[in-house]
Amino acid sequence: MSLMLSQPRIDVESPVVPTAVFDPPVVRPGALAIYRLTFNALEESIDLPIEMPAPTGAKLRPGGHGQMLAMAGPTLQPRTSYNFHLRPSQPGEITMPEFVATVYGKPVTVPAARLQVMTDLPATNFAAHCLVLEVPQTNVFVGQSLPVTILFPGLVGIAMQGQAPVQLIGQGLLTDPSSLHPRFEPRPGPVPGRNVQAFLYEGIVTPISSGKLSFFAQSFVAARPTGPIAVTAPGPVPGGPAYTLLDSDPVDFEVRPIPIEGRLPGFTGAVGDFSIGTPELATNVTRVGDPVKLTVKVRGDGNLLRIVQPLAPRPRHWQVLSAGGDNLPPQIIQAQGFTTFNYTLIPLTEKARFTPAIPFSCFDPERQAYRDLTIPSIPVTIKPGVVPGDLAALMQANALSRETEKEPVLAGLAAAPGLAPGTLVPLQRQVWFALMQLAPAFGFLGLWRWDRRRRFLQQHPEIILRRRARRALRRERRALNRAAVEQDAQAFATAAVNALRIACAPHLPAVPRALVGTDVLGFLTEAERAGRKGHIIKRLFAVTDAARFDSNPGGTANLLSLKTELDALLDRFAERLV
Amino acid sequence: MSKAQRLKSKAQSPKFLSMVVLGVLLLLTDSSRCATSDSLFAAGSEAYIAGDYHRAARAFRESVQLHPGSGSLQNLGNAEWQLGNTGRAVLAWEQSLWVNPFNQAAYTNLRFARKTAQLESPELAWYEVVSSWLPANWWAWVAGLSFWFAVAIVLLPGIFRWRRLAWHQAVAAFGLAIFLLSVPANVGIASRSRLGFILQKNTPLRLTPTANAQLITRLPSGEPARLERVHGRFVLVRTNRTAGWIERDFFGLTSSVGLNTPNWSPSKSESLVKR
Repeated sequence: MSLMLSQPRIDVESPVVPTAVFDPPVVRPGALAIYRLTFNALEESIDLPIEMPAPTGAKLRPGGHGQMLAMAGPTLQPRTSYNFHLRPSQPGEITMPEFVATVYGKPVTVPAARLQVMTDLPATNFAAHCLVLEVPQTNVFVGQSLPVTILFPGLVGIAMQGQAPVQLIGQGLLTDPSSLHPRFEPRPGPVPGRNVQAFLYEGIVTPISSGKLSFFAQSFVAARPTGPIAVTAPGPVPGGPAYTLLDSDPVDFEVRPIPIEGRLPGFTGAVGDFSIGTPELATNVTRVGDPVKLTVKVRGDGNLLRIVQPLAPRPRHWQVLSAGGDNLPPQIIQAQGFTTFNYTLIPLTEKARFTPAIPFSCFDPERQAYRDLTIPSIPVTIKPGVVPGDLAALMQANALSRETEKEPVLAGLAAAPGLAPGTLVPLQRQVWFALMQLAPAFGFLGLWRWDRRRRFLQQHPEIILRRRARRALRRERRALNRAAVEQDAQAFATAAVNALRIACAPHLPAVPRALVGTDVLGFLTEAERAGRKGHIIKRLFAVTDAARFDSNPGGTANLLSLKTELDALLDRFAERLV
Repeated sequence: MSKAQRLKSKAQSPKFLSMVVLGVLLLLTDSSRCATSDSLFAAGSEAYIAGDYHRAARAFRESVQLHPGSGSLQNLGNAEWQLGNTGRAVLAWEQSLWVNPFNQAAYTNLRFARKTAQLESPELAWYEVVSSWLPANWWAWVAGLSFWFAVAIVLLPGIFRWRRLAWHQAVAAFGLAIFLLSVPANVGIASRSRLGFILQKNTPLRLTPTANAQLITRLPSGEPARLERVHGRFVLVRTNRTAGWIERDFFGLTSSVGLNTPNWSPSKSESLVKR
């Protein structure tokens, strides 16, 4: 709290004085000019018009914008800058008209600014002060580290205030402020053949989304660079040195996603040209349950600060714990050119002869392929020791999960089409299968009905006798008709007698062949027995008896003429069988 | 007329002869279908080994349409995966497991694909998990046979006047128990038959079934979803997190081989995505 109270107050009460200048105030046609807009107010409090007024004869392109807090006596003076770029094409004067912005909820008038565009300018005329962003390649993969260089114009003082000295602005990018470091480098100067010392920053940008990305650099400089910046505002901006926001032209680049095909086990997102050193084990001889430290150095041109240590595997005879990476400042890691993976290995049995291999891989953007960087096994000697209870439980769990922890790989082709139904639609949703379920139901219903009928017939055997008699009677009548057609009187008589016996047998009951003529006559009335019907029956039985027992049978004359009367008699007997 | 004569006259009747011819034709058609499917399978395998994945996928797809074999579906998934069609590969492997849950290779491929493409597995209810233990059609047969077997064991001794024995009741109880145990699995099959997978990368999930409807989200290829309703060329699907309408061509059901494949072409699907 005391630290907070000791901080200087931020001045938000002073009158807001906007300044608007063109840098440089005079340019050649086609040269870059920057319209710099500065307020002594906090950035969050400033509302510029949604549509900035367009200057005559040129088009403004929004550039960088940012805020700086400068010491001004006992208070901190906020300084907010907006840059707009333009390249006039025609000679003449370009005027950025006066417009009104809202600052702290109040309207503030931004003065007009003028830019002279002249063809014949001396060679000593200063160009616009801006940063130069240099990117070595513009076609990269997601996660690939991209080294960038930000070149400052001349020897300027960098104004750093709680943030990176240089900001890289853009969507879908990851910038490591700790990776930025300044450097002087001889670069070709304005005089041909003579180099000058250039001040530059180097850093690393990592794209984290695919597609077309764009970014630019910006930085506040505390000292004015070589050459004047004309201030055309009504008065000087109060409060300390003139901080100027410098920015660069945007750089576009294409970011491709990392291919899924061919991904190797242990890939943790490392993209770049990496290599691993020889793994180092604290000791090659240890006891069961004693931890051993394994360290591996990883070198490469990628972003070593962002590299993620692969997950510890779960081998059968070891417990492997990730002990994290280096506890070194990022600048030192970047400077030393390698990072270290640390693991703690605990042998669970004395059967272990080698340390477990730890899968690790990276994607090499140059080869556009994954590279296997698996940390190899190291031979060790494990002596017996006491396994703590929790490690014993871990051993058991490892043994159980050994199969399931296998890294899945794409299986090969099947050798045969294999098990194949007619369709993938399940039987449960097919109508024929539902209808087929009715078949057993109907079957069982039929069986039940059949059983009931059978039981009924068992209690009423006369029904069966009559049914059989009707069937046999029909058969004999067919034989009778056939004999009549063939004029076979003997066969006619035999069929007629058989038919009469069959028709009468169920009523006695008796076997048909056991009946004699008297038995059949018993089914006629007294008058019928004495009449024509009785006569026909007697004659038929007489003919058949004569055929069976007489060596010289006869009496078949006019026998076939009895057929009509016989049919009527048989019809009458058949009715009694129903 | 003797029995042999009756049979002979029956065999010579035109109705009987036409039925025999029809049966033979059906058998021949089925066997020719099998032969064509096998030859397509062989052609697909050769193309795959030669690295011509487009031809391999086409051959396996046609083979599957004729005869949806578990191995053919597995190989179709492999070919689609090599072509970068994650959704179609996942669907083919799921269909392979639907036909034959004992296909370990398809199971491994699914694990591989889901791990590589960071995809979710379908969230299955307990009865759906049970239903995945056996091929989908087996459960129907198990239920039908066990039920009617139990019914037969109860009814037949009475009908045929067999002496009722203790084991009759035990066997009937066993059949009934099998039937009751298979009921949840059959329910699971019915609900799993509405499970499908997104076929196209970044498939737009919309609020209403119209092409210009508000976009809820975009679904990754291979994401599992359940079919709720069909409306024109749109289907209402429910994923593990949300629900909405997608184009019918972008969705493949596990239990239907012909929903998308015949009319599908990458250019058509891509144009629909862009729209």
